[in-house]
Amino acid sequence: MAKQTEKKSIWAFGTKQVVYAAIGAALYAVLTWAFNVWQIPGAGNVGIRPAIVIPMFFGIAFGPIVGFITGFVGNILADMLSGYGFWIWWDLGNGIIGLIPGLFSALIVKYDEIKSILWGELSVIVGSAAGMGLASASEFWVSGADFNTVLLANFVPSFVTNIIWGLVLLPLLMIAYAAILKRSGR
Amino acid sequence: MLVSWNYRFRNSPMDHIDPRARFIFSFALLFAATATWNPIILFVLFLIAITWYLMARLTWKDTKVGWFMISIMLFTMIVVNTIITGGGAGGVVPPGGQLVWPGGFDLFGKHFTFGLTVERVWFAISQLMRILSISLAFIIIPYTMDSRAYGVTFSKLGMPDRLAYTMELSFRFIPTLARNFQVTLDAQRARGFELDGGKGNFIKKIRRVAPLLIPVTMNAIVSSEDIANAMDLRGFGEQKRTWLYELKFNWWDWALIVFSVLMLATVLLLAFRFDMRLFSVPGWFYGLFNK
Repeated sequence: MAKQTEKKSIWAFGTKQVVYAAIGAALYAVLTWAFNVWQIPGAGNVGIRPAIVIPMFFGIAFGPIVGFITGFVGNILADMLSGYGFWIWWDLGNGIIGLIPGLFSALIVKYDEIKSILWGELSVIVGSAAGMGLASASEFWVSGADFNTVLLANFVPSFVTNIIWGLVLLPLLMIAYAAILKRSGR
Repeated sequence: MLVSWNYRFRNSPMDHIDPRARFIFSFALLFAATATWNPIILFVLFLIAITWYLMARLTWKDTKVGWFMISIMLFTMIVVNTIITGGGAGGVVPPGGQLVWPGGFDLFGKHFTFGLTVERVWFAISQLMRILSISLAFIIIPYTMDSRAYGVTFSKLGMPDRLAYTMELSFRFIPTLARNFQVTLDAQRARGFELDGGKGNFIKKIRRVAPLLIPVTMNAIVSSEDIANAMDLRGFGEQKRTWLYELKFNWWDWALIVFSVLMLATVLLLAFRFDMRLFSVPGWFYGLFNK
């Protein structure tokens, strides 16, 4: 774990980042699978997933590469556990949801400061918009769907549920992580 | 909570195909199917996808969860969008066209008018062939690919070792984390925690997930420190990685790769060189609706 005051290199990918990314992906998969029983009626294949906060948080805490792998690989594993198959564009979309908060991680020094939390909240909105935007847009060329379907059946349900979970749960995880860093003296 | 992978060895033809060749074929089919709306090409790809799916020898019981999800997607995309609302299908189907029921139709003693066109019906069939082709290729992966093969497969396909190993490692963490999740859930329930129960507004209900999510996440992060240190002590990343699970190409794997490349190249050539990428309705299909 990085010290809360040290300057971060967000693109590092050493042994620790390998483990964080693997743990993040596995955690995202397990939690997604566990919460998969909650589905949004009539909203395509979009599930209500509190676990979406995991790639966002791993991005904020450990950088864009870890965030991306957590979302991308985690979504592949979750779909594998659930038997949903392999949906590359939605996997990439989930990766972006972790990658963009990772880009914001350079701006965050102490995880329990208001300013840091606000950066985190902003990253949730930008990341979800970009990630679900890409995944939903893929339906243009994969399914031949029109703009209204992509917007109303894919983008809006996934974007809205993701940001709701992210905006509420990310600050809680950031504060808990700050406490762990303080307690461990790191 | 018992986590179990859907894979088991079935001694099917698919079990004997190298995972690298399988991924190359699946992605070639994905790109080929999304390159065109030509019904003949989509039909040929659909037949190839069905053959591919049958090679896996999966039962309905195996895949019903996946097909349930795909059927929801198909219903939204095809029945709701194309058939009922006719939202224009992303500019693929030109406006106007020949009505299926020009004078409306009678149902339960009432007269209805419905602007469904022959073109939209054909587009729904084309959508069905395209989405099902892609689904048939990709839905079988979790059921037919050994989870030990993913890391080495992506490594041999050119992914950097660290990334491939991350994938491999995440597979191994899943049973441990699922167990931790179950232990945390039981511990919180013993304290009176209920995920669905209780009163409160929407935000309070969302925050109710926190007593479950936070301990599981923080425990995982804390334990990852020890794992990273253990890996560093063993010299992780110092040399080119070797894999316990070996992959070996057979002649049929090379044949499949050549077939995949030819399939994609042919579709791209037909679509872009011979203008066969656009949506069109065959003449015989109009005949079905002419009385």
